[in-house]
Amino acid sequence: MKRRRGRATRFSWAPYVLIAPGYVAFLGLILVPLAYSIYLSFFNASFNLSAKSFVGLGQYFLLFDDPVFQQALLNTFRYVIIVVPAAIVISLGLALMMERFGPRLQGLFRGAFYLPTVAGGVILSIVWIWLFNPTYGLLNYGLGRLGIKPVLWLAEASTSYISVCIVMLTYTIGQPIILFLSGLAGIPQDILDAATVDGVNAWQRIFLIKVPCIRPVMLFVLATLTIQIFQSWETVFMLTQGGPNNSSTSLVFLIYQTAFISSRFGKAAAIGVVLTTIIMIVTMFQIRLWKEQE
Amino acid sequence: MKNQGAPMRHPRGAVVTLPRWAGDLTVKLLLVFLTLLFLLPLYWMFSGSMKLQSITMSVPPEFFPEKPTLANWTKLLNGSWPIWAWLRNSVLVSLLTCFFVVTISSMAGFAFGTKKFAGAGILFFLLLATMFLPPQVMFIPLFLWVRTLHLTDSQLGVYFAMALPMIASPFGIFLVKQFASGIPKSIIEAATIDGASERQAFMKIGLPLLKPALATLAIFTFNASWNNFMWQSILSNERVNFTIPVGVSYIARTPAFGKSVNDIGLMMAGGSFGALFMVLFFVLFQGYFVKGITSGSVKE
Repeated sequence: MKRRRGRATRFSWAPYVLIAPGYVAFLGLILVPLAYSIYLSFFNASFNLSAKSFVGLGQYFLLFDDPVFQQALLNTFRYVIIVVPAAIVISLGLALMMERFGPRLQGLFRGAFYLPTVAGGVILSIVWIWLFNPTYGLLNYGLGRLGIKPVLWLAEASTSYISVCIVMLTYTIGQPIILFLSGLAGIPQDILDAATVDGVNAWQRIFLIKVPCIRPVMLFVLATLTIQIFQSWETVFMLTQGGPNNSSTSLVFLIYQTAFISSRFGKAAAIGVVLTTIIMIVTMFQIRLWKEQE
Repeated sequence: MKNQGAPMRHPRGAVVTLPRWAGDLTVKLLLVFLTLLFLLPLYWMFSGSMKLQSITMSVPPEFFPEKPTLANWTKLLNGSWPIWAWLRNSVLVSLLTCFFVVTISSMAGFAFGTKKFAGAGILFFLLLATMFLPPQVMFIPLFLWVRTLHLTDSQLGVYFAMALPMIASPFGIFLVKQFASGIPKSIIEAATIDGASERQAFMKIGLPLLKPALATLAIFTFNASWNNFMWQSILSNERVNFTIPVGVSYIARTPAFGKSVNDIGLMMAGGSFGALFMVLFFVLFQGYFVKGITSGSVKE
């Protein structure tokens, strides 16, 4: 009886019941906190939330006048501009090399390059602290053998930034390699055969045929890497604490410092809102890509 | 890339002189070299964990530990750090996160993937739009709320609080939905006509079919939760509450007693201990990782 009525109206509560837990979590842990962060960014607030004072947009004006914030914003963009293209070129190059091997060896190489990603930036940074050591680190020893003078790596403003980039690269290329390999494997064989018949050389094969064929994968990697690097902070936290002289600080590291070390939650929320805005723009681009494919 | 016997012709007519197999071999050797170079830091960490402090600071460095020692490992595992509690904390927090994410995502993903309902489009779009939001922005209010509610006063509360921000997983719902869209509508319809309730259709038909996607999601979530460093470190107010990454990073940033320098051997033992679990985990479940990564990007 009940069943027949359900079918006649054709309206069912079932899908809403099924998505309810997901949506409760989404509202409670993402949407409401995000809204509260935006609200908080208009206040000066420390631990005692009832004592917060309204400053309106003042927080943002102060923020954009703050040299440390400016540095963090600039650095974050620089991290993206350096690490993202480098990661794409390196991982595509490696994927093209791996392609020559059989599936079993390919899996082995793919796994080797993904290992640092699963180990995580925090763990990797532990060994890099030692590798970067100016007097007994392996890196300077190797450079010394090549006749290059010791580099101060983490201790100097001019190099701390590059040091952080190097470590970021080691754990960001694992995922793109996997994506590129699966993209390359999906190129129809007849396209490649036709190219061979036409007498295309190895380089043309890569740049005129393979790369255009995996364009969707490239764009996906570009978007996800950009979002990922915009949020990077653990290498900064572990290696330099943003220093020396804020030369390596990032937006997320600044959020961490401002909120959880200095307890200035309003200001931290304002930095978060700036970061969220940037990431939303990249995400919209990403969603359009997905829609295009469907 | 198939091997061709004849040398390839350059478009301008010049024959490429290097035989094809030689070029292929060069590339392969280069890749092997690059892989070893890339794995060097992990090797350095592990071999460093078996070196005495004097050796870790020697120049030139010892590439293979000549007199390997377990002193650092005994110090780490039996020393003044509650490392076994950290391991338990990491495992429990990750399992708790997995349980919530897999349950919630399987339900919502199944609904979005197999059912047509009013508002589905906009509800799903909202999830997608927030998928990449920086979690640190949510950490600010969540941290304040967790403190106000005194969640971290009890051990169980600490675990729950540590899992909390990751429970909302738009990625999980997205992943399951991608997979559920592939379930033929006829299977579910046939079951409902045969008298199965919506609940049964989900439990008896949906879940078994979704198993591969849920396994992938569980493994991904476990790894992500394990490495959810910032949230765990701001919540750990006492040493016993640390997780593995929080704890070993704490060791790495603490100078050894009575010295101005860090105990490098101990740092490396800690790092190796932290890496060990995720590396083993990855070796066991590599296929799932690959599936999880590729299913988000390209439709197969």
